Amino acid sequence: MTGSAELQRFLAHAVELEEEAMTRYQELAEALRAHNNLMVAEFFESMAEEAAKHLAEVREAATDDALPRLAPWEFDWPAEAPESASYEAVHYRMDLRQALELALANERSAGAFYAEFAAATDDEATARLAASYADEEAEHARRLQERLNELPPTSPSQFEDDDPAHSPE
Amino acid sequence: MNAPLKPKDYKSGIKPIWCPGCGHYSVLNAVAKAMAALELSRDDTVLVSGIGCSSRLPAYTDSYGFHGVHGRGLAVAQGLKVARPDLTVITLGGDGDGFSIGGNHFLHACRRNVDITYIVMDNEVYGMTKGQASPTTPIDWDSSKLTPHGPGVRPFKPAAVALATGAPWIARGYSGNPNQIARLLSEAIQHKGFSFLHVLSQCITYCPEQTDWKAIVHEREAEPLTDASEAAALFFAESGFETGLLYHQPRAPWPPQHEQQPASLDDIAERLRV
Amino acid sequence: MTRDGLSIAITGAGGAGAISCGEMLLRAWAAAGGRGLLRKAFGPQIRGGEAAALLTLTDSEDYTAATHYDLLLALDWLNFERFEDEIRLADHAAVVCESPGDAPEFIKAARFQDVAFKQLAADSHPEGRSNMLALGLLGRALELPVESLCELAEQRLASRPQAYRDAARAGIEAGFELELSLPRPAPARGEPGAWCMSGNQAAAYGALDAGIRFVAAYPITPASDLLEWMAGPLEQLGGHLVQAEDELAAINMALGASFGGVPAFTATSGPGLALMSESIGLAVASETPVCIVNVQRGGPSTGIPTKSEQSDLDIALHGLHGDAPHLVLAPLDIGDCVFTTGWAVHLAAALQTPAIVLSDQFLGQSTAVVSEPRRHRAEPGQVVASDGDYLRYRLTASGVSAMAVPGDSDRRFTADGLEHNERGTPSASQTDHQQQLDKRRHKLDAHEFGEDWAEVAGEGELALLCFGSSAAAVRAAAARLARSGTAVRSVAIRLLAPLPVAELHDALEGCSRALVVEQNHSAQLFHYLRSQMGVDVPLRSYARPGPVPLNPDELCEFINQEMLP
Repeated sequence: MTGSAELQRFLAHAVELEEEAMTRYQELAEALRAHNNLMVAEFFESMAEEAAKHLAEVREAATDDALPRLAPWEFDWPAEAPESASYEAVHYRMDLRQALELALANERSAGAFYAEFAAATDDEATARLAASYADEEAEHARRLQERLNELPPTSPSQFEDDDPAHSPE
Repeated sequence: MNAPLKPKDYKSGIKPIWCPGCGHYSVLNAVAKAMAALELSRDDTVLVSGIGCSSRLPAYTDSYGFHGVHGRGLAVAQGLKVARPDLTVITLGGDGDGFSIGGNHFLHACRRNVDITYIVMDNEVYGMTKGQASPTTPIDWDSSKLTPHGPGVRPFKPAAVALATGAPWIARGYSGNPNQIARLLSEAIQHKGFSFLHVLSQCITYCPEQTDWKAIVHEREAEPLTDASEAAALFFAESGFETGLLYHQPRAPWPPQHEQQPASLDDIAERLRV
Repeated sequence: MTRDGLSIAITGAGGAGAISCGEMLLRAWAAAGGRGLLRKAFGPQIRGGEAAALLTLTDSEDYTAATHYDLLLALDWLNFERFEDEIRLADHAAVVCESPGDAPEFIKAARFQDVAFKQLAADSHPEGRSNMLALGLLGRALELPVESLCELAEQRLASRPQAYRDAARAGIEAGFELELSLPRPAPARGEPGAWCMSGNQAAAYGALDAGIRFVAAYPITPASDLLEWMAGPLEQLGGHLVQAEDELAAINMALGASFGGVPAFTATSGPGLALMSESIGLAVASETPVCIVNVQRGGPSTGIPTKSEQSDLDIALHGLHGDAPHLVLAPLDIGDCVFTTGWAVHLAAALQTPAIVLSDQFLGQSTAVVSEPRRHRAEPGQVVASDGDYLRYRLTASGVSAMAVPGDSDRRFTADGLEHNERGTPSASQTDHQQQLDKRRHKLDAHEFGEDWAEVAGEGELALLCFGSSAAAVRAAAARLARSGTAVRSVAIRLLAPLPVAELHDALEGCSRALVVEQNHSAQLFHYLRSQMGVDVPLRSYARPGPVPLNPDELCEFINQEMLP
């Protein structure tokens, strides 16, 4: 693979990773907002903004036309893009600590993906860019960890609800 | 030529009523991704559903949709596809909708083999009516007030039933992996004939124990089976947690093409004249 | 001959071919310019049971089932007792049979004529059959050309072995030689160009003529033969018929096709209508056109599947849950099945709602010779404008909103059985529910249905009200009463929902009393009209259940005894 093709391949992955992260945080924020968990919704919105900034950065390095077009399942990750929070990892009663833990895990797996790409590629320009993205994710993770350290532990009864569920249909 | 649509262009913008943590968000995501990957025309695609949490999905996509009554999505979809073979028709629903109240339609849709795709989002529970046991609920699941000792009935085996009634394309996905669902769905849509995509889709509210699925669900490594007897052996013995395209044995979709001498209304009236 | 024409009953056990004999006789009579009705009655067996072909040969088209038969031709007497209720003989009746000594007690005919069917048939050809001999014999009595009978047999038996066809001809010719003294009808003198069909065929043709190109249905007596007849022509017109797994599937398949813009149809009978009712409500809520023909039979439950009744009016009018305005129509005779079914298809499309057509076994499975039937012509489609922001359920002056179909660009929507707003988005708001309920009610109430809502005839202070197949008995009774000096008005209602109440009042202007006639046990039409019309007109009820068809004799008797001074 030529250096530039390898770089384009890497950028395609980075665009997908950041775009998926951004839209996923937006979706989760909307879902949490619809379920009146505003604190977590706002946090996810802020994470979506972070991802949007990073996406803009990646897009600056890439010109869309040159990126290979891959179907969602053709990327080099086994399931979802590494920074995408699982739809199934949230709960309408989750607290900010749980949301931060989820985001932290996402940042770390994104960092790990970039670091592995950097280590595995023979293309020097790609390796440099991937390593710099890995550093950025590490920096995000560090900041999230700091915030986490200041939060109280999650209550064991966090998910309890006095009212029964509704039956909409 | 316009730029190809992105997955988000296939969503309507209506906010789902689903609980945060519900597996159905993954299926919605996968539907949008598969539609984008196949560059389906939104004007020529119809999503049809019955009743239940999962059946709300058509309203969340930007395509044509039909949200009917409980259990009858497959019937609506087959009528539509037979009448309008030019359309891409995708039916969606849950385990109660598809295997209980709509069970008869499931059998006959598998037999009939109309060229539609059927996604069942199986969370083993009735969510809309507050957590009663469904046909796929484990025999001893005792969390419902309606069946306090558990349903006491063996769970329905969707893949085995689909195979026995003639479905030519059977796959299983898992809501923890939307990209896999998207891949399977894009293959299902391209398959000529009835395609059955069974999705294990967790219910965070009534079956929180299903979050454990991610440790059990695994992709089947082997090629899809083409022999019905081998597939039967697999579907009877398996845990139900193997994902991927499991069985694929194409056959001609319904309706078959018949050579037919066309007639006018006048010709037909003539048959009633003395 | 009785006043309303010559009535002939042809009976026989399984394999005797009584039905074929009756059908060919009617066709030959029609070809000679006659008018007539053929009704069939069967025992409960699928094969081998007793069967009766019940013919009325007339020169007018107000067909009612005969109450008394002028001529009985019994190919044998096996299980004849089953027909005791249905085949009563006129005082002067002739009975043609093989062994008069075996005739049951209740046959008190004036004249028995002994014909050795089996022997004569065997003499005519080694494979000779009694029913063909009977056809020849009756053909002669009706003064029909023997060649026409032979040709009909040839056409009907075209796929059978040569010897079988030869035997038919030989039998007809041998029968034609027999000289019997039998009652004769007035000579056939109908206008040419007649049609000969059953109400089921007529409804099927009316539906196709009005544009139906998709049918999904589940077999049910007595609607199956409607669907069977329709299958071939539908395919030849480029449409599709799906045999569904049940009625739930049938109606929903029809809704799917209709949502796709293809006019869709199903036919069923009472039990099937009950199964469909949830999804007919879906058609109301999602504003999806569909036409459902209910060929009524005796109910409730499995009831009397092979016999007629008008007992599904209540379920057709009121069987949907929620507030669900829809269309209910009823054809008034066999020929009218073409018009009324076509009208129902057009109304369903124009008003985007389900239309239930109440035919019944008497109309559906009787065959009649009728003048070329009127067909419904669709009015030019109402173009409902839609601006850039397409709203499927937009509130409009008429209540009808533009219906996009898949493939239309940028008018995407999701049809929904959940209450919804104008866009189609599910909504549980007071305002949306009120507005959409108003819209769905208003589009029916505001529609101009025109003159065809009923057939109104005659003058007089006494009115006879009815719907559907009772019309023939009512008209015949009215004519008889008029002949005896009592002026009677008849109002045969074709459009039952929405009921044109103002027009109905106009039709009854000047009436001092009215009798509501129907074939069911609980006086369903009577109660419906009372609920809709107020108390201006004193209504009385004549309601009798099936299975024996309503006839003018019983109506005249009731009116003379109960309603005339």
